[in-house]
Amino acid sequence: MTNIDKYKNSFLESLSIEKDVLNDDLKYNDIPEWDSIGHMTLMSSLEDVFQITLETDDIVDFSSYKKGLEILKKYNLSF
Amino acid sequence: MEINDRNIKLMSTIGPRAAFGLGVTDLAKTNKELIVVTCDVSTSAGLDRFRKTYPDQLIDLGIAEQNMIGVAAGISRENFNVITTTFAPFQTTRCCEQIKVNLGYMKEKITMVGLASGLVLGNLGFTHCCIEDVGILRSIPNISIISPSDSLETVKAVEQALKYHQSCYIRITGGSNNPILNHTDYSFEIGKSITLKKGKDVSIISCGSILNECLEAAEELEKKNISTEVVNMHTIKPLDENKILSILENSKLLVSVEEHNIIGGLGTAIAELISSSKQKKPLLRLGVNDKYSKSGSYNYLKNFYGLSTNKIIDNILKFLND
Amino acid sequence: MTQNEKIVTELEEFSKKIRIKILEMALTAGSSSSHFGGALSIVEIVSVLFNYKMNLKKKDDNQWQHRDRFILSKGHACLAYYAALNLKGFISDQQLKSFEKDDSDLAGHPVKNLDLGIDFSNGSLGMGLSLGVGLSIASKLRKIKNKIYVILGDGECNEGSIWEAALSAPKFNLDNLSVIIDRNNFQQTGSNKQILDLGNLNEKWKSFGWETQELNGHSLNEIKNYFDEQKDNHKPKMLIANTIKGKGFSFSENNNDWHHSIMTNKIYEEALKEIES
Repeated sequence: MTNIDKYKNSFLESLSIEKDVLNDDLKYNDIPEWDSIGHMTLMSSLEDVFQITLETDDIVDFSSYKKGLEILKKYNLSF
Repeated sequence: MEINDRNIKLMSTIGPRAAFGLGVTDLAKTNKELIVVTCDVSTSAGLDRFRKTYPDQLIDLGIAEQNMIGVAAGISRENFNVITTTFAPFQTTRCCEQIKVNLGYMKEKITMVGLASGLVLGNLGFTHCCIEDVGILRSIPNISIISPSDSLETVKAVEQALKYHQSCYIRITGGSNNPILNHTDYSFEIGKSITLKKGKDVSIISCGSILNECLEAAEELEKKNISTEVVNMHTIKPLDENKILSILENSKLLVSVEEHNIIGGLGTAIAELISSSKQKKPLLRLGVNDKYSKSGSYNYLKNFYGLSTNKIIDNILKFLND
Repeated sequence: MTQNEKIVTELEEFSKKIRIKILEMALTAGSSSSHFGGALSIVEIVSVLFNYKMNLKKKDDNQWQHRDRFILSKGHACLAYYAALNLKGFISDQQLKSFEKDDSDLAGHPVKNLDLGIDFSNGSLGMGLSLGVGLSIASKLRKIKNKIYVILGDGECNEGSIWEAALSAPKFNLDNLSVIIDRNNFQQTGSNKQILDLGNLNEKWKSFGWETQELNGHSLNEIKNYFDEQKDNHKPKMLIANTIKGKGFSFSENNNDWHHSIMTNKIYEEALKEIES
């Protein structure tokens, strides 16, 4: 699975959403599933899937699908 | 909610309060009789999702804790399963009289959950810490008292408390990135302690998230050839008397460790039990030494009160060498 | 006699019987004393509720869950409560004689005993209204069409917890909650005005969102009509009943010594003569 597929899958699984809900413009709190609990579930999943430990600042800054991609690049991941 | 590695890690990351909220939201899926009564703390209790998903099952009474207990008792009387929750001092000492009359005297069954008990909110000052809750509630009949060791145990404790025959008070300690003490699913029974580490020289009996420091201390003591047992005495009332009496029989030194005043809490409860035994062994009580300190971070306060790993080791070694 | 007159006459009889029972229990209590004055001021309210308005059910009745609930938040007025329960067949004459005796089920404040029809333990002032709010919420959740009645003392309204509950009831549209304040103007050591002035209670409760009314708390006709006219209109109900502490006997009316006092044989005999004439 490519990194971008893994990334998308994390969203789908952690937030329990369908493919058609996931899009590039998705932001935190846009949908009820991406609330604070959903967010932490997503963070956990990304850490697992990519074998990284996210810094607190990055968890707080991770405010959208797009922003997330930017942040993960800091962890030597390419998409 | 499945108890697997990922969820255990998630619950540890989000901390025991949010894990409580997650657990309750999960329970509500199959329990339409579950009602949560709270005082303007739904977000702090991780109950935001519960509030949105089950709006009729969350009764928010605003910042009015005495009313919370009375209202919860009335709802419980009509055979609903009722949980009340707010920050530990407001959940307990603020409405103590209501707890005595409604839960103790009238025996209305409520599961009370005290958020951020102990020292975790120390930087907000002692109005938002709680080192008195166990001591005070222990004196009220018909209420069990539980201090879960980690986020998973918090969820399990709530589940069991709802099924228990009388009211329970569950004091939640620790914050986000709460150390994991239970790495796999296990059976949690109110009143039945769990031995986390075996040992025969020193027995550390503790509860709540401070068990993490106890385990670390035990590992270090082992390196000094002091065989140290660590027991999770999650239920302070009723105490697992059999376990304590067996410790009294077999160990050389009992040590109680709690994020609570050493007056009135777990250490005192153990002292009460062993005082009438013919078997005499020393009990070292570690905890808050009956003083309110200046504010500070969780780690700062743990260290201040001798509850950091190093201070626990030092206190035990000092006692052994005296 | 009209139907209404007939009912009021029956209620007068019932009220008289309650007062005689209160007298007897006060004598039984002997040197333990009893809260005589505060029980006498609620007699008419209790009469209308227990002998006319409330849907009372014994514990073994299959409609027990649908009964109306009664909370004597000013629990020290229990003499009136026990008397009413006795007259309605929940408490026996024998049990009534055990008032404030060792090991009795009838203490100086009500102790929960479902077999005797005592639903709640009261006595620590300020708690009954919250309980009432909870019961009313539960009834709404369960869709039970019953009513919850709470009697508060006026001195009891010093307690902050009363106002917490007062703020919350309108939030939940608890029109099944009917609260009566026994406005007898006295509390333990003096008048309300001397201890802590309550001001205009009617206005206060109205401003909190309650539907309020004020009446003569000893007029059985007024009280009966009030309860007859209650509507399901999403608002909790507050009745300020203007009463006289110690009402019914010349020695106790408006005499705060009778808040909690000893009933002697002599006073008992005189009081009995008075009420029976």
